[in-house]
Amino acid sequence: MWRVYLCFIGMVLFGVAILVKVFTVQNVEGNYWRSMADSLHTRYVNLDADRGTIYSEEGRMLSTSIPYFDIRMDFAADGLRDKNGKIFKDNVDSLSICLSRLFGDHTAAEYKQILREGYKSKDRYFLLKRDILFTQYQQLRTFPMFRLGKNKGGLIAETKNKRINPFKLLANRTIGLSRQNAQNVGLERTYDEYLKGVTGKRLMRRIAGGTFVPVEGYDIEPENGRDIITTLDVNMQDIVETALMNMMVSNEAEHGTCILMEVKTGKIKAIANLGRQPDGSYFEDMNYALQVAEPGSTFKLATVISVLDDKYYTMNDQVNLNEGRWQIGRRTVFDSEPHPGQTNVTVKHAFELSSNVGMAKLAYQSYSKRPNDFVAHLRKLRLDKPTGIDLVGEGKPVIKNTKSRTWSNTSLPWMAFGYEVLISPLQTCMLYNAVANNGTMMKPYLVNAIMDYGQPVKEFEPEVVLDSICTQSTLKQVKLMLEGVVTNGTAKALWSPYYKFAGKTGTALVANGSRGYADKIYQSSFAGYFPANDPQYTCVVVIKNKPHAVKFYGGAVAGPVFREVADKLYAIALEKQKPMRATLAIDTLLAFKTGQGREWKEILTTLNLPMQGNVNNNSWVSAKVDDKKIAFSPVQQTKGSVPNVTGMGLKDALYLLENAGLRVIIRGAGKVTNQSIPGGAQLERNQTIVIELS
Amino acid sequence: MNRRQQIKLTEGIDWPIMGLYMGIVFVGLLSIFAAEYREGDNIWYDIIHLTKNYSRQLMWLGVSAVLATIIWLTDSKFFTATANLLYAGGLLLLLLVLGIGKDVKGSHSWLVIGGFQFQPAELTKLCTNLALAKYLSSLETDFTKLRSRLIAVSLALIPCAIIILQSETGLALVYFSFFLVMYREGLPGVLLVIAFSGIVLVLSALLVDKNILFIIFSVITALVIYFSRREIKRNRSRLALILAIWAFCSVFVMFIVPFAFTKVLKDYQVRRIEVMLGKENDPKATYNTRQSMIAIGSGGFIGKGYLKGTQTRYDFVPEQSTDFIFCTIGEDFGFLGSVLFIGLYVALLLRIIFVAERQRSTFSRVYAYGVASIVFFHMAINISMTIGLAPVIGIPLPLVSYGGSSLMTFTMLIFIMLRLDADRQMVLR
Repeated sequence: MWRVYLCFIGMVLFGVAILVKVFTVQNVEGNYWRSMADSLHTRYVNLDADRGTIYSEEGRMLSTSIPYFDIRMDFAADGLRDKNGKIFKDNVDSLSICLSRLFGDHTAAEYKQILREGYKSKDRYFLLKRDILFTQYQQLRTFPMFRLGKNKGGLIAETKNKRINPFKLLANRTIGLSRQNAQNVGLERTYDEYLKGVTGKRLMRRIAGGTFVPVEGYDIEPENGRDIITTLDVNMQDIVETALMNMMVSNEAEHGTCILMEVKTGKIKAIANLGRQPDGSYFEDMNYALQVAEPGSTFKLATVISVLDDKYYTMNDQVNLNEGRWQIGRRTVFDSEPHPGQTNVTVKHAFELSSNVGMAKLAYQSYSKRPNDFVAHLRKLRLDKPTGIDLVGEGKPVIKNTKSRTWSNTSLPWMAFGYEVLISPLQTCMLYNAVANNGTMMKPYLVNAIMDYGQPVKEFEPEVVLDSICTQSTLKQVKLMLEGVVTNGTAKALWSPYYKFAGKTGTALVANGSRGYADKIYQSSFAGYFPANDPQYTCVVVIKNKPHAVKFYGGAVAGPVFREVADKLYAIALEKQKPMRATLAIDTLLAFKTGQGREWKEILTTLNLPMQGNVNNNSWVSAKVDDKKIAFSPVQQTKGSVPNVTGMGLKDALYLLENAGLRVIIRGAGKVTNQSIPGGAQLERNQTIVIELS
Repeated sequence: MNRRQQIKLTEGIDWPIMGLYMGIVFVGLLSIFAAEYREGDNIWYDIIHLTKNYSRQLMWLGVSAVLATIIWLTDSKFFTATANLLYAGGLLLLLLVLGIGKDVKGSHSWLVIGGFQFQPAELTKLCTNLALAKYLSSLETDFTKLRSRLIAVSLALIPCAIIILQSETGLALVYFSFFLVMYREGLPGVLLVIAFSGIVLVLSALLVDKNILFIIFSVITALVIYFSRREIKRNRSRLALILAIWAFCSVFVMFIVPFAFTKVLKDYQVRRIEVMLGKENDPKATYNTRQSMIAIGSGGFIGKGYLKGTQTRYDFVPEQSTDFIFCTIGEDFGFLGSVLFIGLYVALLLRIIFVAERQRSTFSRVYAYGVASIVFFHMAINISMTIGLAPVIGIPLPLVSYGGSSLMTFTMLIFIMLRLDADRQMVLR
């Protein structure tokens, strides 16, 4: 029996040994093992969401993300080390040739050298090439060795998204930047919350060899960013940017801005901000439109609105210009040009001449007893508040009052012609726009809608800031005065025979730090709207000249920019108007939409109407009506290209476009008059097309 | 079915073993489920479509139940009568695998029958056990004779050798558990002492520098000779024996072990042994054991709770439905759970030995000892390797690990024993 007991004892001993070990592992060393658990072996990696695209109003991409790849190699990959590196040795030559051909930055021999050095170092994360394009990456994956994948071929490709602006400079600062290591700017920042989407998460666990693999079933998919559709119009932006650029270059100016605003809505259609770079080129480096500065003469509009509205003067009252010099207190007001012999002129003419003396006197004589009334009026015009535009970084305007520390008895007259106040060009734009818009002040804005997969999730409507900035009689007078500036004032040289416009020039000396006004740096500006009889757009141009510039008057520097913008937009408007009216005429006669031949046949036979042309049952046909005849012509649709939907109803158009895999953004109702990608164009995945219907 | 027959049907069953068997199988199912189930899985779908290991294990359990019933309804004499035949069949099957077997994870030990993979090496444990029982119980066998001992040992080692050829070393080692049975039946204890010394020698050869070992052996030998100098004077052959042992140990340690480790054993096997001894720290080699110990260790005293274990649930532990199934228990139920779980096995083993000792026929006793030895060997090695006490040898935890071959083999082993036990009044040869 002792053998039996020995068996029992042996088993029990072994069992005890196991229990003791289990106890040690779980309780004595428990903390150690627990600390090894989870955290050291799993980690969450972020799955980047695709950042949304910024579109112009007509649906063109202003800023979008495209994938780039960093190519790295794992030279310690099992496949490369196996059998003494057979795979590597067999493929290194052909791979070097392929790499050299694809990138062209090194010869095949150089690539071979690079690869061999990497191989020698056994680097698990060897950087081969940064920032290659997707197409290059696709090719790269077919190369010898790389086509074996990560474990056998050692290829590591890291995806990253880069933000690109297809229209480069256009509105660059306004669209903004989305950067990795610095704060975003512009719309990219304001709407970051929408654009960035929601980062997803993936649980990765470490496997033997120190590499991480995803754990199945523990992914949180990223939610892609939303797209935003701005109010910007690429064509207008191009016009504005070019006009400003030309003047900046020819005048070697320091920086300048040009804002184009739609009168009725307050939409910013274009906004250009150019700053001179150390190398003499110009770039959209700062949002100058939002920076506050002494506005100079364009501010005189606020002064005249104030004195007219408070009924101290009418535009036909007389004011003495003192030949352009007027001493008040210890300071002297100078007109920028002397006005010899101009003593008594009307208020209107003083404005047209942009007389500082005239404006100073108007304000002083009206408000010297109660200067705060003037301040209150400026406040009523919202000049003391930022515009509230959807861009970060708007400067804070400064309108002094009598209690301010810097208030002196010359503050009132100086404020009257645009000094001792700080406002931004955009505020000036907002004020002029209010005049153009019959006294209703609109809030400037840049974004029409936020879209999620082509569906608007949030839409922005024009916003009225102030119903009426002044009485109708004041408004009428002010408009006449602004038009007068162009017909017989400082902007006479800009007068156009084709359309009427109204505006105000401005020339202001800019203080240059401690050197004060001595450097003769002038800020030239022009603010106005066109056409004067039915204002469509307000445009403000502000250019800060270089010291001692030859040309510095508002009428000579900023004015021509305004004029060029107005000319071109006027020409476009004329072009647009003609065909629109023509098609409308036909449409009202008989509304025809491009449709399926079969359907048309049925309708027309039922209605007993005559038809002409060959109607194929299964093809798309367009119809034309002339003199009671209905002529059909087939519409060609080629497979693999963007369908031509012009002339179709929404149902047919959507059917065709969405079947072709396009994202469709719809504007208006009726039939398709315009499609942002023309029919027959090469079809690409995930393209967005905007169709306009009317 | 009338009442009399019903009584007869369950008559003689050893309920403690039956209960322990069912308990362990149930724990096994729960563990496989815990290792595989993920939130949101459609359990019923998985069970019906056999898409998961636990659903397939459930199926194998059904098959095992059928087998158990068939065995219970079979006459005990059938097993004694066919023992040798079954053994021969088992050997044939093993040889067949050598020819047409399929490779699974580096071991050439699987047969594919109608889409199911089957490991004959599991089944031949049963055959060998029967054959050994038959041989040791036969009247012609005199186990005190060397010849009989050699026959018995070869019965156990022939399948073992074929299985080693199939690269399934883990299962082959199981056949050494029959030495325990033979020991019970009279194999001299010296053999066990020699075997134990051999293991100690191998381990010391691996752990200690061979030159130092040589010095140690020489010193011990010198001391032994000095203290037994009187005996040596009386009996010169004693000195020869001592010197022979000294020479053998030295050669074994200095040449045979290094040779075996560099030439005979496969690289991964050497590594696993080194991992167990703490000599190897390469994370790749220690990965399995480390992960397993992290899982068990992080369970702590009371465990993380059922289905709460992160290490097993996130697939850190390799082979966690099969070889490393104990991790799930260790992590989810902690030390308390592990003790209870091991307690189930110990209870089963003790009960089997108890049952073995009450047998009248040598056949049944030897067979029952065989069952106990196999279960013990499997359980001890499997659990030991998950906690770093033994090198990683790929053998399943009886009745718990996922796998049809294993579950069916252990079921048959146990139920044949229950059948024999029910007929213990009969003398079987």
